Amino acid sequence: MTPTAQELHPAPVLEPGRTILELRGLEKRYPGTHALKPVNLAFRSGEIHAIVGENGAGKSTLIKLLTGVMPRTSGEVFWEGQPAALATPHEAMALGINAVHQEVVLCRHLTVAANMFLGEENSRFGILQQRAMVREAQKIIDDLGFDLPAHVVLGDLTIGQQQLIAAARATVRGTKFLIFDEPTAYLTRKEADQLFTLIRRLKGEGVTIIYISHRMEEVFELADRVSVLRDGTLVGTRNIAETNDAELVKMMINRSIEQVYHKEHFTPGAPIVETRNLSGKGFENISMTVRAGEIVGLYGLIGAGRSEFVTSLYGRHKKSAGQILWEGKQVQINSEHDAIKLGMALAPESRRDQGLCLNLPVGLNLNLPIYKRISSNLLISNAKEKAEADRQIAGLRIKTPTRGALASSLSGGNQQKIVIGKWLAHGAKLFIFDEPTVGVDVGTKAEIYRLFGELLSKGAGIILISSYLPEVYELADTLHVFRRGKLVATHGFNTASHEDILTQALAEKQEKLGGQT
Amino acid sequence: MSIEAIPAEKPKRNYNVLFGLTLLALLVLLWIVLSLATPSFASGNNIANLLRQGSMIAIMAVGQTFVIITGGIDLSVGAVVGFATVVVALLINAGVPIALAILITLLVGVAIGLFHGFGIVKMGLPPFIITLATLTSLRGIGLLMTNGNSININSDSFTAFSRNSFIGIPNLFWMVILVGVPAYVFLHHSRWGRYLFSVGSNAEASRLSGVNVQRTIYMAYTLSGLCAAFVGVLLAARIGIGNPTQAEGWELQAIASSVIGGTSLFGAVGSVHGPLLGAFILATINNGANLLNVNSFWQRIITGALIIIIVYFDGLRRRGK
Ligand SMILES: Nc1ncnc2c1ncn2[C@@H]1O[C@H](COP(=O)(O)OP(=O)(O)OP(=O)(O)O)[C@@H](O)[C@H]1O
Ligand SMILES: [Mg+2]
Repeated sequence: MTPTAQELHPAPVLEPGRTILELRGLEKRYPGTHALKPVNLAFRSGEIHAIVGENGAGKSTLIKLLTGVMPRTSGEVFWEGQPAALATPHEAMALGINAVHQEVVLCRHLTVAANMFLGEENSRFGILQQRAMVREAQKIIDDLGFDLPAHVVLGDLTIGQQQLIAAARATVRGTKFLIFDEPTAYLTRKEADQLFTLIRRLKGEGVTIIYISHRMEEVFELADRVSVLRDGTLVGTRNIAETNDAELVKMMINRSIEQVYHKEHFTPGAPIVETRNLSGKGFENISMTVRAGEIVGLYGLIGAGRSEFVTSLYGRHKKSAGQILWEGKQVQINSEHDAIKLGMALAPESRRDQGLCLNLPVGLNLNLPIYKRISSNLLISNAKEKAEADRQIAGLRIKTPTRGALASSLSGGNQQKIVIGKWLAHGAKLFIFDEPTVGVDVGTKAEIYRLFGELLSKGAGIILISSYLPEVYELADTLHVFRRGKLVATHGFNTASHEDILTQALAEKQEKLGGQT
Repeated sequence: MSIEAIPAEKPKRNYNVLFGLTLLALLVLLWIVLSLATPSFASGNNIANLLRQGSMIAIMAVGQTFVIITGGIDLSVGAVVGFATVVVALLINAGVPIALAILITLLVGVAIGLFHGFGIVKMGLPPFIITLATLTSLRGIGLLMTNGNSININSDSFTAFSRNSFIGIPNLFWMVILVGVPAYVFLHHSRWGRYLFSVGSNAEASRLSGVNVQRTIYMAYTLSGLCAAFVGVLLAARIGIGNPTQAEGWELQAIASSVIGGTSLFGAVGSVHGPLLGAFILATINNGANLLNVNSFWQRIITGALIIIIVYFDGLRRRGK
C-alpha cells in the first residue's frame, strides 16, 4: 500500500463519501519548531477519521489550524470545494467546524449553562434569560444521556465532566464537522462510553468527526479511517479494517514496541508508609501499606477519593482522623513540606492547575523541587542546573527546542512528561503518581513504566493512581479499588478479572459487596 | 522520534538581553536628542541632578519588581518613603548615631513588609487592598507623629552624603549599584529568585513541588518595604527634612518604571536591569521636559503615553511577531 501516491495528488480525490474538507500543503511553523510539514489530506463527509501520532507529532496543531485558533504558515484548506481562510474561530464555527480541545477551554467560574451558551446567550432586551438558559442546557445534557446538573459552576465538576460539557457545547451549534482532541484522557470508562454513544449518534446524523487519541483500542472501536502523523508529516492513511495495532504503532514511531507494560517483580522490602484508618474530606478509613520495591495501584472512578487521599497523605489537605507511619514510626504530616522532607514526591493529577508553571521555561519546571540541591551556598550552580534539566529532557525524550522554551509551548503529552520528570532526580522514597500517563504516547508510556522499574529497584515504593484499568492492572503489585471515598476491595497482581474490578468500582448497590474486603 | 538537532541558544535569555538593549538604546537616544535640543542638559550639574532624581525611583522599582513577579503589587512604597524620612529625622534629632538611626529605619521598612506578607498569607487579603490600606494609614501615622509639620534634620554629615560624589558620580547613584548588583544575583542566580518566578506563575504547582510559597511572599514584600525605607533615608538626606507627605505618587512611578522595564503585571516575568533602565528613562523625560519648559501637566501625559507604547511593543514581541 502506498498512501504517498494518493497524497501527492494536488487535485481533490473523488471518493465514495463526498469530500467535505480538504487540506492541500497545510503547514505550520512556530518559532523554533516546524510543527506541521505540508500535509495533504481529505476528510469524507460522515466519516469518523482518527488521527494518531506521538507527543508533539502535530495533531493538536492541525486542529488549531482547522478551527482558526492559530493562523497557518502556508497551504490551503477547501471546505466543500471552496477555499476557506479559517482565520478566526468565528469563521470556522460559521462553517460548522467545532472542536473539543485537549485542555478544557471554558470559563471555570461560570455555570455549566452559561458555558454552553457562551457567545450565543439567550437574552431579551439585553437582559440574560438565565433560567431559560439553564433549562435549555439541562435538556441538552439530559438528551445526550450525561448525568450532570446545568446550574452548577463548571469548576466544581471533575475534569472529565468538564470535558463532557465541552463536548455537549460543541454539538449544539449546527455542527457539521466536529473534532475531538484526546477527549477520553480524563474520562472514566463509563463517561467514555457516554461519549462514544454521542459520537456514533452524531455520525448517524451525518456529522464528520476527527478523533485524536493515544488509545489504540478506541481508534479501532470508533474510527472508519485512521491517519498517522510523525514529526509533522503525514505518514499515511488506512481504512480501519485493513490495518492493525502493530502497523499503526510502527508508522507512528518508526520502530515496533514489543511490550508496553513492562513489569519487573521485586520482593517487597520493609514498609515505607502505612496509613491506619486515615480519613479526611472525600475519603474515609483508608488503611494501606506501601513497601519498598512495590507498586500499589489505586483504581476507581474519577471522584472516588483517590486524589483526595494522596494529597492529604502528602500534607496538602487536612486529615480528620487516623495515623500515618513512615518507616515504622508514627509521623505528623502537616504540610507538603513535611512530606517532601520525609521523602515523598507527588506528581499531581492536573498538569495545568497543579503540575506546571506554564509561562516559565521547561528547565525551571524540571528543577523546581531540587533547587536546594543544585545550589551551592547562596548561588545556583549553572552547570548543574543545565545538566539536570538536559538529563530529564533526554531521558524522557521531552520534545522541546531547548530547556529555555516555555512549558506552555510544548504539546500536551510533553508537558505531562515534565510533571513526572521533575521528581525523578529528587531521590524520594515514595513516589505518588496521579494519572501519570494522561495524554502520553505509547512509546513514552513504555519508557515511563521502565522508569518505574528503575525507581523500584533502588528501593523506592510507588502509589499509582489511574482511571485507565489496564495500566493499574498490569503494573500494580497490590491493587486497591476505591468507591465513593472508601477502599472497597484489594487484589494481588493479576488475581482478579477486569470485570470484577469494574463492578467493585462501579457497584451502585451496597449489598453486592458483601465479603469483598 | 527525532528530537531535531537542538539549537543550543536560549530564546528567553536572548529576548531579555535584547529588550534590555532596546531600553538602553532608547535612553541614550533621549540623552542625545536632549543634549542637542538644550545646552543645559549635558551640563555636569544637570546630569548629576538627573541621576539623583532617577536613583531613588530606581531603587523602589527594584523592590516593586520582586513583588510584581509573584503576581502581587505594593502600593505602599511611596508612603513608606515618606514615613521613613520622618523616622530617620526623629531618630537623628534625638541624638541616635546616624548608622543606628538608618538601621532602625530600615527595620521599620522590613516590619511593614512583614505586615503585608501577614495580611496576604494569613488573613487572605488581596495585595492591592492590604498595601492600599498601608498607603493611607501610614501617611496618617506620620502626620500624627509630626503634628503635620516638617522636621529639620540637624546633622550636616547626614545631609552632606546625598550631595557628595565619589569619583565624579553622585553618591545616590552609587546606591543604585549597591542595591542593583545584589538584587540581580538574588533574582537570577539564587533559588529564591526562581521561587519568586514560580510562585508568580503557579502557586499551587510550586507548593506541591516543595516551594515554601508563604515564605516567598513574605520575602517579596519585605524586600520591597526594605527598598522603600532605604529610599526614605536617601530622600531625607537629600532634602534635609522628615515629612510624611513626601514622595506622593512615587509608588506609581515605581510601578511604571517596572512595567516599562518589561515586568508583567500578571507575574512571572521581570528582571532587575529593566526597572532600573525604566526609572532613568522616566527621570530623563521629566528632566528634559523641565529644561524645555514643557508644562508639567504635559510630563504626566507623556509618561502615560510612553507606558502604553513600550508595553504594547513588548507584548507584540513576546507573542512572537
Ligand atoms: N504555541 C507554541 N509555540 C511554540 N511551539 C509550539 C506551540 N504549540 C505547539 N508547539 C510545538 O509544536 C509541535 C507539535 O505540537 P502539538 O501540540 O501539535 O503536538 P500533538 O501531536 O498534539 O502532541 P500531544 O500528543 O502531546 O498532544 C511540538 O513540538 C510543540 O512543542
Ligand atoms: Mg495534542
